[in-house]
Amino acid sequence: MSKNFKEAILYLLPAAIIFLVFYYWPLFQNIYLSFFSWNMVSPNMKFVGLENFTELFASAELIKIIINTVLFVLFLLIFNFVLPYIYSFILGHLVKKGNTFYRASLFLPATLSLAVASILFLWIYNPLAGPVSIVLGWFGISSPAWFKENYLVIFAITTIIGWKTFGYNLIVMLAAMVSVPKEMIEAAKLENASNWVIFKKIILPMTSPTAIYVFTITIVFGLQYVLTPVNMLTQGGPDQGSTNLVYIIYQYAFTFFKTGTAAAYAFITMVVYLLFLYLKHEFLDKKVYYEN
Amino acid sequence: MKTERWKDEWVWHVLLLIAIFVMLWPIVFMISTSFKDLDQVFESTLNPLPFPPTFSNYTNVLREFPLFTYIWNTFFIAACVTISKVITSVMAAFSFVYYDFKYKETIFNAMLLTFFIPVTVLIMPNYLFMSKLGLLDTPYGVMLPAFADGMGIYLMRQTMRGIPKALLETSVLDGAKPHHILTKVVIPLIKPAIFANAILFFINSWNEYFWPLLILQSNENLTLPLALQLFISAEGGSEWGVAMAVATLTSLPPLVLYIFCQKFIINTFMNSGVKG
Repeated sequence: MSKNFKEAILYLLPAAIIFLVFYYWPLFQNIYLSFFSWNMVSPNMKFVGLENFTELFASAELIKIIINTVLFVLFLLIFNFVLPYIYSFILGHLVKKGNTFYRASLFLPATLSLAVASILFLWIYNPLAGPVSIVLGWFGISSPAWFKENYLVIFAITTIIGWKTFGYNLIVMLAAMVSVPKEMIEAAKLENASNWVIFKKIILPMTSPTAIYVFTITIVFGLQYVLTPVNMLTQGGPDQGSTNLVYIIYQYAFTFFKTGTAAAYAFITMVVYLLFLYLKHEFLDKKVYYEN
Repeated sequence: MKTERWKDEWVWHVLLLIAIFVMLWPIVFMISTSFKDLDQVFESTLNPLPFPPTFSNYTNVLREFPLFTYIWNTFFIAACVTISKVITSVMAAFSFVYYDFKYKETIFNAMLLTFFIPVTVLIMPNYLFMSKLGLLDTPYGVMLPAFADGMGIYLMRQTMRGIPKALLETSVLDGAKPHHILTKVVIPLIKPAIFANAILFFINSWNEYFWPLLILQSNENLTLPLALQLFISAEGGSEWGVAMAVATLTSLPPLVLYIFCQKFIINTFMNSGVKG
C-alpha cells in the first residue's frame, strides 16, 4: 500500500466534489433555509428564527404524517423484507430444480421504472374496469377506489413498490442463503428437524447480517421509492392520506412554495434517518457481531 | 427417491409459481394491452392475446408525441451518468484499496452515507443551485448530481479487495506507476464487475423519475418516465392502450439489457457480498 497522500486524494477528488456540493452542502443549506420564511422567488427572505419548527410541531399534520410513515414502513416490511426472506429460504434450500428460472423471473420487475409500475397499477387497480375489479366481481365484491381512500391508498401504493422491489431484495437475501453450508441443513434434516426449526436455528442466525441490510434498505429506500407512485397517482392525497416524512418536503417546497417549512421537515427527516442508521448500527449490527 | 423428493417439494414449487405469476402477469398485461384497441381494452380486459392485434396505439403515439426525442433524451442522460459514475467509482475505490491514509474509513463511510440520504432532503437546495447555474430544463442539470455514486464506490472497493495483494506488489516492484497499475492491472481484472455495475447505473438512470421531474420542464426535454405522466393528466386516464404502449417502450431497453446480461446482473448482486 502506498502512503502517497496527495495521489490518494487526487483519485478521490472527482467523487468527493460531487458529494460535497450535491449531498453535504445541501444539508447545511437546509438548516439555513429553515430559519426563514420564503417562497423561493421573492427577493426578500424574512428571518423568523425557530418559528417554522414550532409551527410544525404544533400542527396536527405532523401526527398524520408520522402515522402514514409508520404504516408505509409496516407494509413495506411485509412485502420487501418478510416475503423475500421466506422466498429466498425456499429458493435456496427447499427446492432443487428450476432455481435459475425462478430467480431470473422473479427479478424481472426490478429492472422496470417505478413510473411504468405506477401507470400500470393505476390501470390494474382501476375501480370501474380494471383487472382487479373484474376478479373481485367474480366473487360479488365491488372494487374500492384504491387510491382515493385513507389507509387503503397506502396499502395500494406499497403493493406497487413491493412488486418492483421484491426481486431485488430476494436476490440479495439469496446470496446469504446459499452461503449457509448445505451439509448443515442436510444434517439437520437427517435428525428430522422441521423446516421451521431449520429456519429458526440455522438460517436466521447465519443470514442476519444480510437480513439487517435488507431490513435497512427496505425502510430507507422504500420510503423514497414511494415518492414516484405518490406523486404520479395521488399527489399525497386523499387529504394528505398518502404523504410521508419524505414526500412532505417536496410538497412544501414545490407545491405550497414554503421553503422554510420544507427545510424544517428536511432537517427533521434527515435527523430521523440518521437516528435510524445509528440505532441500527449500535443495536442490530453489534448484536449480530457478538452472536457470531 | 425422485418421487419422494417431488412429494416433499411440490408445495414450494406451487408457492414459487404463484410468486412468478404475480411478478410476470402485470408485464404480460402491459404488453398485451398495448396491442388492443379501445373496445378490446374494455371488453376483453383479461385476455392476454388480443385478436386481431392492433398497432394503432404505437402509430398514434409516434404521430402525436416526439417519442424519439424522449428516447434520445433519456439515453443521453443515462449514458453520461453511467460513464461518469463508472469513472468516479473506480477511481475512488482504487484510492481506498491501493493507498493508506489518515481518516480513510471515515471518508469512505461519509461517501457511502450519501447513498442513504433521502432524495427530497436534497432537492430544494440543489434545485436553487441549478437555477443559479442556469441548468434548469437542461439534461446537464439532471445528470450533474448523479456523477458519483456511494454504492458504486462500495461495490467497486469490494471487488478490488478480491485482487491478490501479491499481484499489486509485484507490479509496484516492477516500477509501475499507480495509474499504470490501475489501468493495466486492476481494471482488466475486474472488467466483468465494472460491466455489471455499468448496466445497473444505466438502468437506474433510465428509470429515474423524481429529480428529472423537477429539472426538466419543457415538453421537448422530457425523459420517458416523465412523458408517461402526460398520459395520466392529459388523456384523463382513459387511453389505456396508448399509455401501455409508452410504458412498454419505456421498459424495453431495461428488459432487453436484463435478458441479455441477466447472468452478469444477478451475479453482481449475489457475489458483491452486500453484508451491511
